[in-house]
Amino acid sequence: MSKKSEILAKDTQKRIEELKDADILIGIPSYNNARTIGHVVGAAEAGLLKYFPNYKAIVVNSDGGSTDGTMDVVQKTTVDHESILVDHQVERFHKIAIPYRGIPGKGSAFRTVFEIAKDLKVKACAVVDSDLRSITPEWIELLIKPVLEEGYDYVAPYYHRHKYDGTITNSIVYPLTRALYGKRIRQPIGGDFGFSGRLAAFYLTKDVWESDVARFGIDIWMTTTAVANEFNVCQAFLGAKIHDAKDPGADLSAMLYQVVSSVFSLMEEYAPVWTKDGESGSVPTFGFMYAVGLEPIHVNLDGMIEKFRLGVKELSALYESIVPGELLALLGTVAEGSKEHFSLPDDAWVKIIYHFALACHHKVMSQEHILKSLTPLYLGKVASFVIETWESTAEEVERRLEELCIAFERGKPYLIERWEEKRYS
Amino acid sequence: MGNVSAITICDSIVTGPLKDFLQRLIAFLPNLFSSLIIFILGLVLGWIFKKIIVKIATLLNTDRFCSTIGITEACGKVGIKGLPSHLIGRVFYWLVVVVVTIIALYALKVPAIENLLERFILYLPNIFIAVLLIIIGYLLGNFLGRATLIASVNAGIQFAGFLAKGVKALIFVFAFAMALEQLGIGRNMVLVAFTILFSGIVLALALAFGLGGKDIAKDYLEKRFKGEKEKKNDIQHL
Repeated sequence: MSKKSEILAKDTQKRIEELKDADILIGIPSYNNARTIGHVVGAAEAGLLKYFPNYKAIVVNSDGGSTDGTMDVVQKTTVDHESILVDHQVERFHKIAIPYRGIPGKGSAFRTVFEIAKDLKVKACAVVDSDLRSITPEWIELLIKPVLEEGYDYVAPYYHRHKYDGTITNSIVYPLTRALYGKRIRQPIGGDFGFSGRLAAFYLTKDVWESDVARFGIDIWMTTTAVANEFNVCQAFLGAKIHDAKDPGADLSAMLYQVVSSVFSLMEEYAPVWTKDGESGSVPTFGFMYAVGLEPIHVNLDGMIEKFRLGVKELSALYESIVPGELLALLGTVAEGSKEHFSLPDDAWVKIIYHFALACHHKVMSQEHILKSLTPLYLGKVASFVIETWESTAEEVERRLEELCIAFERGKPYLIERWEEKRYS
Repeated sequence: MGNVSAITICDSIVTGPLKDFLQRLIAFLPNLFSSLIIFILGLVLGWIFKKIIVKIATLLNTDRFCSTIGITEACGKVGIKGLPSHLIGRVFYWLVVVVVTIIALYALKVPAIENLLERFILYLPNIFIAVLLIIIGYLLGNFLGRATLIASVNAGIQFAGFLAKGVKALIFVFAFAMALEQLGIGRNMVLVAFTILFSGIVLALALAFGLGGKDIAKDYLEKRFKGEKEKKNDIQHL
C-alpha cells in the first residue's frame, strides 16, 4: 500500500490538519472541465448550504492536471445565498482544489477524495462528475441524506434517461451485475455516488490503485465492492442526467472493452460471492420519481446490422473458441436474415455474454481481443432492441429490460457450472 | 632364405597392418565404450529431465499461459498436438540428447569428427536464433493479424479478412527473411527477393486500391463535397 505522502501533497496534508475534521465531503474529479465545473461546484455548494447548514462540509476538486484553468474556476465559484433562499449558515464551508497523484484516471482522483475523507473522519461523502449540466442542489441532498440520516453506506444514482441512452448499461452491466450480486441497482456505472466515511476507508484498504480501476473502472468497482462486501446499499432518484457532449470520435470498442473488462475482472475477485445461489432483490429508492421526455433521436440501424453481419462473417473463426457451435450457428442465421426480421433473442444474448466471461476466465486468448470482438455482437443486440422497441414508451422499454434481466438470472446456473470447469487439466 | 623373405613380406603387407589395426582398435575401444556409456546415460538423463520439466511446467500453469498468448493455437495449426507442458518436456529431452551426442562423439577422439563438430557447434547459435526468429514472427504475425482483423471489423472495413491476412503474411515473411539472413543463406539474394516482394505487394495494393476502390473513393468524395453525410447515430452507449 502507498504511503499517504505519495497520495497527498504536503500542503494538502497541512490544510487537512488545520481543518481537523468534517461531516460531509463532496468530491469532484476533473480534467479540463472549466466550461462546466463552475455549475457543478455551485450546485454542490448550494446543496450543502440549503440542506446541511449545520454540518461542517468541504468540497474537494481532485484534478488530473487541467490546462484550461479548471481549478481556478473551482476556487472562484461562489453562490449567492439569497438566490437559493438560505438565510443562515452555522458552519463554514470549505473548498480545496488539488491535483491528484498516481496514474491518470478517475480512480486516482477518487483515491485522493477517499484519503481526505478518511483523514477528516467525514460521516458522509458524495462524488459527482464535473461535466454535469443537469445537477441541482437536490442531488447533494439525495446522495448525502440516506447516509447521514438513514444509515446507508452506499447510494447509487438512479436517472431517467432516453430509452436509447446507456445501451451498454442496459444490455450488459445492469442485467449482469443484478444477476451476479442479487441487487437491482439500475445505474451501477452512473458516475455520481454517495457513500459513508466507513466505506471510503474500506475502499482505501483495497490494493487496486495501480490497476485499471485507477484508470477507468472505478464506477463499477465502487458499486460491486459495496454490494459484494454487504454494505447497506440504496438508490436515489436524481432525475435526468445531462452532461457535456462526449467526444463523438470515441471508439465504441475501446469503451466497451473498458466497461466489460472491469465487470469481468470483478467477477474473478468476487467469484465466491456470486457463485452462491439466490435471486435478486430490489434496493430502497429515495427521491421523487418523474418521467423525462422521449424526443426522437437518430439511429443508424442499417450501420449497426451491417457491422453485426460483417463481424459474424469475418470473426466466426475467432468466435469458435469463445461460444459453442449451436450459438455460432444461430448467429449465422440471424446475420443471414432480412433487416425487417432482424432479432437477437435474449437467451442467445445471455449465453453470448456468459461465454465471453468464461473465455476471459479460462484465458482462451488475449482479453483485449476477446472483448473487442464483442463489439459487432453488441451492435447486433442494440439493433435488435431498437427494432423491437421503436414504438415503445419509456415504461414499456423498462418492462422489456426487466425481461432481459430475468433471462440473465435464469442463465446464471449455466454460467456457474462452466465457471468451475478446468479447461486445461 | 626365400622363406624368410616371404615371411617378412607377408609380415609387412598383411600381419603388420593387421596388428597395427588391432592395436589401434584396442586403443580405440575404451573411447568407443565410454562414448556409448555417455550416450546411454544421456538418454536416461534426458528422460528424467523431461519428466522433471513437465512436472514444473504443469505446476507453473504453463498450459493455460500458452493458451492465453496463442502458442497452443499456433502449434495446433502447424500440426503440433498435445499439451504445451509436454511439448516443452520433449524439447528439453532432445536438447539433452543433442548435447550428449556431441559429448559422446567428442569422447571418440577422432580428429575428423572433432573438426566437424567444432564447425557445427560454432554454427549452432545461428540455427537457434533463426528458429527463434521464425517462432516469434509466427506468433507476432498471428497476434497482430487477429488484432487487425478485430479492429477492421469494428471499423466496418469490408475487406477486413484480407487486410488481416496481409499483415500476418508480411510479418511472417519479414521474420523468415531475417532468419535466412541469420543463417547466412544467400544474403544478397534474400535482400533482393525481399525488396522485390515487398515492392510488388505495395504496387499490387496500390493497383488494387486504385482499381477496386475507385467507386468507393468517388462515393466518398461526392459525400464529402456534395454534403451527403453518413446516417447519424445519436445512441449514447454509456
